[in-house]
Amino acid sequence: MKGSHLGEFQEVVLLVILSLDDNAYGVTIKQEIAEKVNRSISRGALHTALTRLEEKGFITSEQGESHPDRGGRKKRYYTVTNKGVAALHDAKSIRDQLWNQIPRLKLYPGYDK
Amino acid sequence: MKPRNNISPPKYYEQFFEWFCRPEYFEELQGDLEERYERNCIELGQKKASGIYKREVLKMFRPSVIKKINTQYRLNNIAMFKNYSLVALRSIARNKLFSAINIIGLSISMMVGLLAISFISELYSYDTFHEKKDRIYRVINTLHEEGEDPAYYASTSPLTGQRLSENYSGYEKVVTIYRGFSADVKRDDQKIPIAGFYASEAFFDVFTFTMLSGDHKRTLTDPYTIVLTRASAEKIFGKTDVVGEIIELNDNIQLTVTGVVENPPRTSHMSFEAIVSFETLKKVQDPKRIMRWSNMWNSHVYVLLPQGTHPEDLQANLEEIATQENSSFGTSSVEMEFQSLNSIFPGKKLYNQLGARMEIKNVNYMIILAVIVLASAAFNYTNLSVARALKRSKEVGIRKVVGARKGQVFLQFILEAIIISTVALVFAYFLFQLIRPEFLSLNRDIQRTTTLELSFIHYIYFFVFSVVIGIISGLLPSAVLSRLKPSTILRGSTQLKVTSGFTLRKLLIGLQFTLSMAFVILVSLAYKQYQFNLNFDLGFETADILNVRVQGNDSELLTNSFSQVPGVSSVSKSSWIPSVGSFWTTRGKYIEGDNSTTVHLLNVDANYLDNLGHQVLAGRSFTEGMTVPQVVVNQKLLKHFEMGEPVDAIGKHIRLEGKDRAIIGVVKDFQHATLDNEIFPFAFLNEPDNYQLINLKIESADNINTMQQIEEKWSELDPSHEFQAFFYKDRIERAYSKLSTSLQTLGLLAIIAVSISILGLLGMAVYTTESRIKELTIRKVLGASVQNLITLLSKNFLLMFVIASGITIPVTIYAFENWIVPNLVHRIDIGFWEIGSGLLAILVLATLTIGSQTLKAVKRNPVEHLRNE
Repeated sequence: MKGSHLGEFQEVVLLVILSLDDNAYGVTIKQEIAEKVNRSISRGALHTALTRLEEKGFITSEQGESHPDRGGRKKRYYTVTNKGVAALHDAKSIRDQLWNQIPRLKLYPGYDK
Repeated sequence: MKPRNNISPPKYYEQFFEWFCRPEYFEELQGDLEERYERNCIELGQKKASGIYKREVLKMFRPSVIKKINTQYRLNNIAMFKNYSLVALRSIARNKLFSAINIIGLSISMMVGLLAISFISELYSYDTFHEKKDRIYRVINTLHEEGEDPAYYASTSPLTGQRLSENYSGYEKVVTIYRGFSADVKRDDQKIPIAGFYASEAFFDVFTFTMLSGDHKRTLTDPYTIVLTRASAEKIFGKTDVVGEIIELNDNIQLTVTGVVENPPRTSHMSFEAIVSFETLKKVQDPKRIMRWSNMWNSHVYVLLPQGTHPEDLQANLEEIATQENSSFGTSSVEMEFQSLNSIFPGKKLYNQLGARMEIKNVNYMIILAVIVLASAAFNYTNLSVARALKRSKEVGIRKVVGARKGQVFLQFILEAIIISTVALVFAYFLFQLIRPEFLSLNRDIQRTTTLELSFIHYIYFFVFSVVIGIISGLLPSAVLSRLKPSTILRGSTQLKVTSGFTLRKLLIGLQFTLSMAFVILVSLAYKQYQFNLNFDLGFETADILNVRVQGNDSELLTNSFSQVPGVSSVSKSSWIPSVGSFWTTRGKYIEGDNSTTVHLLNVDANYLDNLGHQVLAGRSFTEGMTVPQVVVNQKLLKHFEMGEPVDAIGKHIRLEGKDRAIIGVVKDFQHATLDNEIFPFAFLNEPDNYQLINLKIESADNINTMQQIEEKWSELDPSHEFQAFFYKDRIERAYSKLSTSLQTLGLLAIIAVSISILGLLGMAVYTTESRIKELTIRKVLGASVQNLITLLSKNFLLMFVIASGITIPVTIYAFENWIVPNLVHRIDIGFWEIGSGLLAILVLATLTIGSQTLKAVKRNPVEHLRNE
């Protein structure tokens, strides 16, 4: 198993799951990513990301209710673990640190005017 | 909500997804996809939703979703493969007889397979070196003449080429090729013969022949230009850097060399030593005559189509040209079509081919034969293995109890079959090397076009082929063995249902026998017909006649010179020789009557009729120095023109070749064509300038010495051309080479078919006696005689034999008359012995096979088989 590094897409997925609160399952996650992050991904690609995250222990999942719309098949809901939340914080702090190191002028050309 | 059954996602995709998806994820993923699909159906419509669904399923094809193959099982596999191979080898070594039967049978038939693979792959490598090969098409003609079947020609009038390039657009290039360039190059008092064809300037734009020197755009543009090949340039000049040199031909024509190309590859359907510009031909011959619509015998038109154009799009052009030109073509008409370069060689049968020819029909026959022979041998393996499954059943039982799955047992036995077929491949390879020269000398087309040289890719083909054969022949036994239930086997039940399908097996053995009987009978029939043809009484003497080609020399000079050789008893001259398949025909008209007919002609000198032993029924032969046109005819001509008795015909006139000719003699009818033709009205002419052959009657004790002297005389008179002579008998033999090819092919097939079926029978005989040994022994103890036992065991076989021969005889006679000698007028009578000898031979072989096994079994001491119960 790979280390506990958090990939960029995985980070997005984690954030989306958190934002969906207790309605995070395949269809909603995919839709949210499409709408909010403007990235169209296949369900298969999302599945790969979800299994990775689960292997790393950043999310857990549990089976939910079935629905006639789904051909009577059960949903699987995803929730972010504490470890996942910590990983998100880590990722954010690393980024913030990097942001802070950059001279303002480079980030906002024309700031001094 | 809509009812569910109306809008379920594409079923096959769902099934496919379920098949490859890991079961623990399927519920969730399929649910998600379906939910999305439902919503898309409402938002986008079912069609779009289905498309999205399909794409989603295909994108699921990723490692994280696909079922995992159990890694533990995979590791285990390597060990198991070792074990399977070991067990397979042991089992091959233990059953030496059966392994030998299988390996020999398979290697014989795989040899045929190897021949087919290398032969066919070589044929299909033809013309692949042309860079634009997929865009090159040839115009081919179908000639409809009144009252005759349509005739198919590879040639077309040069007018077609001219009109296509001048009146129509849509062709990138059009090239006209005109056959029949052959000349002697004068060089330092020597004459060097070269041959090739004429071609228009686009030739090198269309075809890819490597240009060694010269500008390929201009090489064939001007009149009196010639392109040489490396070989002919070296032959004439001793070097290839000869652009700009001038060569002088024997008829005082001078040509400038404008290019030298690499020798055409062997895999080119056209071959040449030299190409002369088409413009030259228009200068040295009457251009009007060449460009005539009716002059469609020597020329070929090839077109290069632009990228993306299909020949069907341009078919209308050809139809237009044909309609316009046919209007002035009398009662005949020509139809034209495009033939792609890739289907020229091998291709359909066409007259007037430019070079090498190979009928696609022959290729198909080869494939069919190979498949039949292979199926026969593969069936032997299947049959023997299934029959002996009983012996291996304990092994299967133990394996299954220890934990082998059905698939593993299946794999094991397939692997065993592949090992056998791979061993057979090695033997087949040696057999292939042995048979290769025989195969190549089968007929002249094969000899000229193929070498059967193997390259690396062939070895790969061979290996794949042997694996495929192994899989096919191992399929059924593996299925039977892997289906066995351990509980049944290990309980010691002897009632194993492995012999089910016994009737199918009998049927297949019967088929094998039908096949081998058919081949044996066909061989004996074809052999008899061949001998019959060669020894047919033609009505004149061909023995000891040596024909020497005149090759443009003075025939009178040659005749005088040859007649001085001791051992040459008489000499005559003729334009060609009859009975070997050549024709020269014209319309003949009886002056007093008014009917005309096709008359076959032969131009001969005064000695000919006497020299060839023709029987003159009335009148006389030609005499030297005649001035009035005269003719000697056969009885058939008299009959046709109703001239009555031979004596009455003398002095009557017929019109032939533009002259009224007096009949001065009548000869007895003789077989002037090959035996597939009737005798036609025939006339001997006497026109001195047209002799191509000198016929020498050799009566000498020392033929070799006489031949040498004749050859010496030749080189005195004509040092530049090679002496070309052939005995009449040999040429007749060559006229029937097609039959002798069939004979050889059938002979080979008969040997293969018989050996395979005998091997199969041997295997079955061994198996039957082995499995019934106790029964036989008890019968023997109770007093059955050896004869009784043999009858008991071969009764079934005899029945099969009778049925098989019942099928074989009519089928074989039909095949012989319709396929082997379809057009023969003079056919042998098929009597009892022609058929019976073949059947008898097979019967004796088969009885010996079964009898020997039975005898071996029943002669053993009964105690040996009965004590261990």
